[in-house]
Amino acid sequence: MTGKHMKRSLARYWPRFLLVIPFLLVACVPFYNRIEPTLADIPFFYWYQLAAILLGATVAITVYLLEEWITPTTEQGSSDPDSDIDVSGTPGDIL
Amino acid sequence: MSLNVTAASVFVALFGLVAWLGFVAARWRKADLNQLHEWGLGGRRFGTVVTWFLLGGDLYTAYTFIAVPALVYGAGAMGFFAVPYTILIYPILFLVFPRLWKIAHEHGHVTAADYVRERFGSRPLALAVALTGIIATMPYIALQLVGMEVVIHALGFPADGWTGHLPLIIAFIVLAAFTYTSGLRAPALIAVVKDMLIFVTIFAAIVIIPAKLGGYSAIFASVPPEKLTLTPPSGDSLGSYSAYLTLAVGSALALFLYPHSMTGILSASSGKVIRRNAAALSAYSFVLGLIALLGYMAIAARVDSNPLYAAGFAKHGANFAVPALFLDSFSSWFVGVAFAAIAIGALVPAAIMSIACANLFTRNLYKEFWKPHCTDAEEARMAKIVSLLVKVGAVVFVLAIPKAYAIQLQLLGGIWIIQLLPPIVLGLFTRGFNAHALLLGWAAGTGIGTYMAATRGFVSSIYPLEIFGVTLPGYAALYSVLVNLLVAVALSPVLDRLARRGVASGTR
Repeated sequence: MTGKHMKRSLARYWPRFLLVIPFLLVACVPFYNRIEPTLADIPFFYWYQLAAILLGATVAITVYLLEEWITPTTEQGSSDPDSDIDVSGTPGDIL
Repeated sequence: MSLNVTAASVFVALFGLVAWLGFVAARWRKADLNQLHEWGLGGRRFGTVVTWFLLGGDLYTAYTFIAVPALVYGAGAMGFFAVPYTILIYPILFLVFPRLWKIAHEHGHVTAADYVRERFGSRPLALAVALTGIIATMPYIALQLVGMEVVIHALGFPADGWTGHLPLIIAFIVLAAFTYTSGLRAPALIAVVKDMLIFVTIFAAIVIIPAKLGGYSAIFASVPPEKLTLTPPSGDSLGSYSAYLTLAVGSALALFLYPHSMTGILSASSGKVIRRNAAALSAYSFVLGLIALLGYMAIAARVDSNPLYAAGFAKHGANFAVPALFLDSFSSWFVGVAFAAIAIGALVPAAIMSIACANLFTRNLYKEFWKPHCTDAEEARMAKIVSLLVKVGAVVFVLAIPKAYAIQLQLLGGIWIIQLLPPIVLGLFTRGFNAHALLLGWAAGTGIGTYMAATRGFVSSIYPLEIFGVTLPGYAALYSVLVNLLVAVALSPVLDRLARRGVASGTR
């Protein structure tokens, strides 16, 4: 991989480093292995991890949107490794 | 237990609706189902919404709905590892699998072994990938049947003898028939119904049941305090901390290597669809977290000491906790809805798993080793027949062999499937690996992982690893795949050099 290619990848894919956040949230087991503070009578251990799901989803959505926002500004066309081909017979790729 | 007529009628009606949908699916997005990529991958045309339902139905199975709360019911906080596990799968899905989708789409790959075969040009490595996939998935299908059997018995159908197995056999004949006709379109369509039923059930459960039991404070107060959190490390052992984290990480790494996850991913219409789903599927994780809490609600409702459910607990153990809780809390017709949700939740993954096994067998064993020049129609027909055989095998497995074996084999399946991580995932990002080194790594990982499980008598996958006098109890799958990776990394340059020398001396 050449330096120039690397730089271009980094410019395009830097949001993906944010995906380490969900891992950090679940890796700190000693931190969340406790009862207090409770939330609506639910011990911390449980509500923290349920909240971590929502945070993880927020991170994934953010990364997706950031990449959508970056892509048109950095490059166009089919040269990049993750570009998508839509072969769907239905409108767009929603359904 | 006598037959609960109202619940059973609702159950049978919903089951009939889904069976009908399964057959109708053949005409949905009509295409030539005598092409393997049409029958076995739905023509790779599923957009964001259908993929969301399909992957959701694929990954969150009936066994999940029964076994995760059962684990929380029995083991407490440790059983909650399913939650960090589902948090971790989505970053992995986001980073890795759009890439695999793209390569598979360009080259027309139907299975992971197809990809490995082309990427490394190695038939033995592709064979290892295909066989591991098939062997690890078979007990998983059998476990779906176990989940279905629990709710069928909970409805009050006879649990013993030949008649006890009849409802299960009928359900599987229906499943086999619509999978044969409609391929992957059937579970994709059925998954929509299944998800609606599951969501209705779970939201009813988290509203109605806590209200009946006196709120969440009463529920958590009824759980023995030592079960509510993980046992902290003591002495020179990291205790349940390392076990909890390695279970979550190892299970997350293994999940998308299973053939049925791969089938779900490859049937998407673009890499973008997969990335969108990496975010949107978290909604499912949240529901799974709520489902896990049903285990504690079962403790609070004291279903285990209720004589009505004694027979169920005697036969199914902790797996009966959730069905008993539903019987205890819901009116009969809604019990029918809830149990139908679980049983249909078994049909969807069982169909996808059998299709995935059939794809692997046909593409990577039959076509590779017996009939390299078979036509597309022959290929598709072979896959359909194999999907039938796989299901017959699973039914025989569940009926003839003690259930404990299915559970132990599924546990081993997780250890075996994760060994595909280096060939499948690393191959996407680097060309630095040698096919023979990957094969040796696979063999080493599989051997050591199996040995680790054997030292625990195949009842637990937590292996007490000792490093410098500190014990790190952890998931054997994760430890063994590290060995696999080390072997592959260490041997790749060596074998590459040997191969070059061999070529050089051969040409001289």
